[in-house]
Amino acid sequence: MTTRTRLLDPAVGRAMSALSAAAKKGLGDPALAELVVIRASQLNHCAFCLDMHLAIAREHGVGERQLDLLAAWEEAEGVFDERERAALALTEAVTVLTGGFVPDEVYERAAGHFGEAGLAHLIGLVVAINNWNRVMVGRRIPPGGYTP
Amino acid sequence: MTTHTDTPTTVEYVPEQPARLEWAKHAPEVYKAMVRLETAARKGLDHTLYELVKIRASQINHCAFCIDMHTKDALAAGESVERIVQLSAWDESRHFYTAKEIAALELTEAVTVLTDGFVPDEVYDNAAKHFEEAELAQVIAAITVINAWNRFGVTCRMAPGHYEPGQYK
Repeated sequence: MTTRTRLLDPAVGRAMSALSAAAKKGLGDPALAELVVIRASQLNHCAFCLDMHLAIAREHGVGERQLDLLAAWEEAEGVFDERERAALALTEAVTVLTGGFVPDEVYERAAGHFGEAGLAHLIGLVVAINNWNRVMVGRRIPPGGYTP
Repeated sequence: MTTHTDTPTTVEYVPEQPARLEWAKHAPEVYKAMVRLETAARKGLDHTLYELVKIRASQINHCAFCIDMHTKDALAAGESVERIVQLSAWDESRHFYTAKEIAALELTEAVTVLTDGFVPDEVYDNAAKHFEEAELAQVIAAITVINAWNRFGVTCRMAPGHYEPGQYK
């Protein structure tokens, strides 16, 4: 397995970083942001992003038990609170558009916990990590490039 | 024998669904970054190819708003109705497209549907035959950006049908 290309237009990279930063700031919950970003990266199989964001999550104090069970959060009773579960359900729906639309119950559940501004930034964050997943998997950027 | 020539003059369609959320209003910095990303990603790419990529990804992601916008933009730029109609079945209608366009469409599908697996080597390598490295990085960026718009469009249920070509230029 070798990297396909490391090229990415600097203006594209800067705009993607600005998008991630604006979404994360607007959400205002760094630990939750990492859960969201890691779950999307699991679904999109992005090794680089998983490696990077598992490290960042630990820096933000996200517990090992949450990280261990994140891939099965729906079945992991008592490990994630209702707000986290609403955010993770939305993350999955927004990430997997090919299976259908974003269901009303998933959207409404998230809307109930985050309010309009919080929700707009949460959606922005899911979009932002989906962007990184695509440019990293597409170019086959190996994990391990991130140093805290 | 049934004929369908006697179409009624007025047809009652179901009502338009309201949008769920005006995301750009509630997250203006996020929107600004998206516009910057859009501008950066289209740089250096052929416009005809760019719209084909946009339409195909929007079909896969079922983004009605984006399909409305990009089919109209493509038509306004001189794209043929036939190539747009055939796009959802391009694999069976390859002779409507250039080898370079097909390579970009294959890559569009692979980079859009990451949940089923990785981007196959044969898809990437074929694209790399048709696009030089920097241009290929821009194609990947373009696929990424339309996927981003699709996610906002579908999640916030942005309504199709109101777009006028060139509206956001």
